[in-house]
Amino acid sequence: MKRIEVKLSLEVVAPLLDVIKNVAGGLSANLAAPLAMRDLDAEFKDTWTAELQAAQTADVQVLLALFDGDFFSEGVIGLDEANAEPVVRACAAIRLRLRADYLKTFGDETLETSDVNITQLEEPVRKAFMCYLFLATLQELIIQHLDSSIIES
Amino acid sequence: MNASNKSNPHTVPEPQETTATALEGVWRVVVLNDPVNLMSYVVMVFKKVFGFDESTARRHMLEVHEQGRSIVWAGLREKAEAYAFTLQQWHLTAVLEPDEAH
Repeated sequence: MKRIEVKLSLEVVAPLLDVIKNVAGGLSANLAAPLAMRDLDAEFKDTWTAELQAAQTADVQVLLALFDGDFFSEGVIGLDEANAEPVVRACAAIRLRLRADYLKTFGDETLETSDVNITQLEEPVRKAFMCYLFLATLQELIIQHLDSSIIES
Repeated sequence: MNASNKSNPHTVPEPQETTATALEGVWRVVVLNDPVNLMSYVVMVFKKVFGFDESTARRHMLEVHEQGRSIVWAGLREKAEAYAFTLQQWHLTAVLEPDEAH
């Protein structure tokens, strides 16, 4: 099984985990990307929403499980063919929620380019934006090294 | 059941026929832009969900990015719904549209 280990800075990442866990909590009852289809019948929509919600919750749990004892002792997280797919999806879900909860004032172009002076941001927004960037980096690492195992699974 | 329905039994099935007709034909799966998901992530999802090669996935991603939407698949409603559901699992926003040309 293909596996990569990522050494993270404990000093930088550990303080972000509270924000990530808080946002993850908000995802337990809400879809990160709400259904946009308007012509689904109500029963069908409820079924879809419940299934998407369950899948999203399971993905987020896999992401949070990366930050276990090994991470806090050595700053290392392990990504492999088994967790790559749920982790990359959970990162997308949390990034969408971070935008909705903390980064609403950022324009679309700013978010796409991430061209922001972090030092000028207020504390809650600064931390949220750092989480947003950190999760994007995690996604890029997975896509760079494990995308074939995701696509072929 | 009221008196008018009794006198005209054809009025009852009409909505069902209308619904059935509305869901027939060709449906498009349209992915809408969002400023959050990474371009590389969207390309990977398109390759995974639709089996696109790199250049096709990239072309659709750029359409989403530059035009706000891309038609990624067209066909029967049931399969279109399945694709839309899968895209939502990947946190991409998808809608279905009837293909007026068919």
